[in-house]
Amino acid sequence: MKITNIIGARPQFIKYSPISKAIEEFNKLIDSSVPFKLNIPQRIDDILIHTGQHYDYAMSEIFFNELSIKEPNYHLGVGSASHGAQTGTILQKVEEVLLEEKPDVVLVYGDTNSTLGGALAAVKLRIPVVHVEAGLRSFNKHMPEEINRVLTDHSSSILLCPTETAIKNLQIEGFCNVINNGKLIDNSFDISPLTSRISNFISYVSYPLIINVGDVMFDVMLHALKIAEKKSQILEKLNLKKKEYYLLTLHRAENTDNASKLNEIIDFVNNMSVGKRVIFPMHPRTKKVYSNSDRNFSHNIEIIEPLGYFDILAVLKNCELLMTDSGGMQKEAYWLKIPCITLRNETEWVETVESGWNVLYKDYKANYSPKDNGNCYGDGNSADKIINVLVKLISS
Amino acid sequence: MKIILIAGARPNFMKIAPIIRAINSFNQTNPINPTNSINYSLVHTGQHYDYKMSKVFFEDLELPDPDIYLGTGSGTHAEQTANVMVKFEKVLMAERPDMVMVVGDVNSTLACALAASKIDYGEEGQKKQRSRSKKTDIWHLTSDSCGRRPLIAHVEAGLRSFDRSMPEEINRILTDAISDYLFTPSKDANENLKREGISEDKIFFVGNVMVDSLLFNLEKVKKSSILKRLGLQKELPDNCQLPTENCLSTDNCQRTTDYCLLTLHRPGNIDQKDCFLSIIKALTEIGENIPIIFPVHPRTRKQIETFGLQRYFINSSTQNSKLVTHKCGIHFVDPLGYLDFINLMMHSRFVITDSGGVQEETTVLGIPCFTLRNTTERPVTITEGTNRLINIENLFSEVNAIFNLYNTTNSKPSSYNVKHKIPEFWDGRASERIINILSEYFFI
Repeated sequence: MKITNIIGARPQFIKYSPISKAIEEFNKLIDSSVPFKLNIPQRIDDILIHTGQHYDYAMSEIFFNELSIKEPNYHLGVGSASHGAQTGTILQKVEEVLLEEKPDVVLVYGDTNSTLGGALAAVKLRIPVVHVEAGLRSFNKHMPEEINRVLTDHSSSILLCPTETAIKNLQIEGFCNVINNGKLIDNSFDISPLTSRISNFISYVSYPLIINVGDVMFDVMLHALKIAEKKSQILEKLNLKKKEYYLLTLHRAENTDNASKLNEIIDFVNNMSVGKRVIFPMHPRTKKVYSNSDRNFSHNIEIIEPLGYFDILAVLKNCELLMTDSGGMQKEAYWLKIPCITLRNETEWVETVESGWNVLYKDYKANYSPKDNGNCYGDGNSADKIINVLVKLISS
Repeated sequence: MKIILIAGARPNFMKIAPIIRAINSFNQTNPINPTNSINYSLVHTGQHYDYKMSKVFFEDLELPDPDIYLGTGSGTHAEQTANVMVKFEKVLMAERPDMVMVVGDVNSTLACALAASKIDYGEEGQKKQRSRSKKTDIWHLTSDSCGRRPLIAHVEAGLRSFDRSMPEEINRILTDAISDYLFTPSKDANENLKREGISEDKIFFVGNVMVDSLLFNLEKVKKSSILKRLGLQKELPDNCQLPTENCLSTDNCQRTTDYCLLTLHRPGNIDQKDCFLSIIKALTEIGENIPIIFPVHPRTRKQIETFGLQRYFINSSTQNSKLVTHKCGIHFVDPLGYLDFINLMMHSRFVITDSGGVQEETTVLGIPCFTLRNTTERPVTITEGTNRLINIENLFSEVNAIFNLYNTTNSKPSSYNVKHKIPEFWDGRASERIINILSEYFFI
C-alpha cells in the first residue's frame, strides 16, 4: 500500500510526525511476522511531499530529529505568494508527483493552501483523499483557512475528525456516513463490515466516511512530553518552582496589530497576576509592537526569548495557570489539566471551555474552578487508529 | 455595482449570453440613476480547446468580445485549474469587482470562485468596496471581514449527480460551498444545497439560463442551413414550426431524413477502450437502421484515433454539400456552432448523448433523449422531460424497443412517452430573475 503525505507548513510537520511513527511501527510489525502466513497486510510505503509553502529556518534539526520526521521525498519549493497563486502552484506541482507515484491514498493535514491544493489535485485524479483534522469550522467564509477547511472536506473520501463537534459540523454539511455514531473509535476498530458498501474504495469513494479518531496533537504532545522530561533544563535555568508561576504567550495578529486591543490585554494580564511570577516568552512580532506601545507589563511579568517546543511544554506542565492566544496551547493545557485563560474573544476549541479548564478572558470571574469531564480530544492514540483504518480499508 | 462574469468553456457561453442581455436591459430601464447600474466585465479564461470554435459560439450567441482573455489553454485538470487561478487572481486585484459570477461546472468555474474566495483587498480596499454599496444591509452575508473580497455568485448551482468520480461533480460541490449567491435551475437543486448545510437565504430558484438562450435564439436557429449542408433535407417546408408533440409524426418533419443525433465526450465513456468499443458497437447496430449524425468533440476524435476505431465511422464534412448522411451508419461531422447544433437537434428523431446541457435542451424541444450515463445531475429532465438514462448493455435494445428501428419508414415511437412538460421556470426569464434579485440586494 502506498500512501502520500502532503505537508507544507510547520503545524503540518508536527501533525504528520505521529503518523510517520505509527507507519514505521506498523512496518516493523509486518517485517517481523511469520512469512507466508495468510492475511498479512502489505507494508506501507510512505511518500512525503513538502510543498515548501512555508519555509521556516527556525525549525531546527533537533526538533525534526526528536519528532522523528523523515526527510521529504519531494521538495516542491513553492514558496510564498498570494493565496490564489500559491494554491494554484501547489495544485499543479502536487499533481505531477501524484501522476508519477500513483499512490493508493493521499493524506492531507489541517487547513493551509497545501492542504487544499493537495486534496484537489488528488480528487481530480480519483485518488482517495484522507483529511486529518476534518470538520473544524470558524463559520467565517472570509477567512482563507475556512475556505481551505470546507473545500478540503468536500474533496475528501475519509474525513478524520478530532472531536464530536467536528463530526456534527460535517453532518450539517450533508455528510452522513458517520462511523461508530461519531464516538471515538478504538485502536483496532474493525471497519471491514462497511466495506461492502464501499467496495469500490480503491477506484473511488463516492460516499465519504466520517470517523472520530481524536486529535493527533494529543499524540504529539504525549511524545514530546517524554522528551521534554528527559532533556529540558529550562525549569532549572529559569529557577521555576512547580505550580508557583503563570505562563503567558501572545502572538496573534488580531492582538498584536491593534494598539487598543494590545493595551486591553496588557491591563488584563497585569490585573490577573498581581504578586505572581509570570513567564512570558515573547514572540518576535509581539516584541516589535510592544516596543512601540505606551503601556507596559508590570515588573512581575518576566519577558524572555521565545522557547522551543520541548522547553515550553516543560514550563507549561509545571505552571499554575496559562494565559494564551494560541489555539494549540489551549488544548495542551487541557490535556495537562492546567487552567487556561484564552486572550481572545472566541475559540475554536469550545470543548476546553465547556469542560471548565479554559475560559475566555472577557468571561473570566475570580471564582472560576475547572472540573474534569473526560477527554473530548481522543486518547492520544490517534495515529494508531488512523493507520488501522487505512490498512483495513485499503487491503480489504 | 461591478460584476466580473466568467466564461470558460463552450457550455458556459450559452449561460453567460442571456445574463449579459439581462444586465443590459436592466441598465437601459434605469437610466436616471447611473449609480444604480450594473457594470460588467466578461472574462474568457480560454479553457476552451479551440479558439475558432469559441468564436463561432460568440457570434452565434451575440456575445460581446471578452474584456479580458486569460488564454490558459488545455492541460490536466490541475494545470488548467491552477493556471486560471493564478491569472484570474491578478485580474481581481486590478479590477476589484464587487461580485464574481461563475456559471456551470467546468474547471474555470471552480478556479475563479476559488481565487475570488481567497483574495484580500486589504483594509483600504474594503472601505472602498463598502462605500460603493448603497444599501448597508447587503453585507447581511457576513461580518467585519466582508468587503475584503468580492461576493461570489454561482449560476446553475445545486446540481448533483452524486457520482464523485466525475470531475464536474467536484467542481459543483466545491463551487457551491464557497458561493454567496446560489442561483438554481430546479427545485431539486435547492434541496441538494440545503442538505449540504447551505443556508436558505443564499439560495434562489430562478430557472434555467440555458433555456433563456435556447428560446431567445429559436428564430435564428430555424434559419440555420445545417440540414441542407449535411444533405439531410429533402425540401424545406415554408411553414416549418418549432417541433411540437406531434411533430415527429407529421408531414413537416417527414421532409427531413430521419436521423439520430449523437454527442459523446465524457471520460467515463471514452477513456477506456473496452467501454468505448462496446458503445460504438451498440451505436453501429442502431446506425444500421437510422443514420447517426455525430458532431465530434476534439477529445473524442483523439481517443478514436488513439484506439484505432476510425473504421466504425463515416467521415462527413459540412463543407461538402453532396453528403450521403441520409444513408445509414455513424457520420462524423466537425464540431458545430450553437445555432446549427440546436437546429440539428430539433429536427432529429431522437438524441443519444452523454452531455449535461443536451439533456435540458431536448426536454425543452420535446425531442426524446437517451443519456449514456448511470446518473444525471438534472433529474427533472427525466421526471418531467424527455430524458432517459441508459447503459451500454441495453443501449440498442432500449432504443430499438421504443423506436422499432427496423420499421423506420412510418413508425411513431411506440412506447416512448412524448408527453412531457417543461419544468418550472424554464421559460426564458431565468437571467432576468437573477438580475432582479441582485438589484434588490444591491440597490435602493
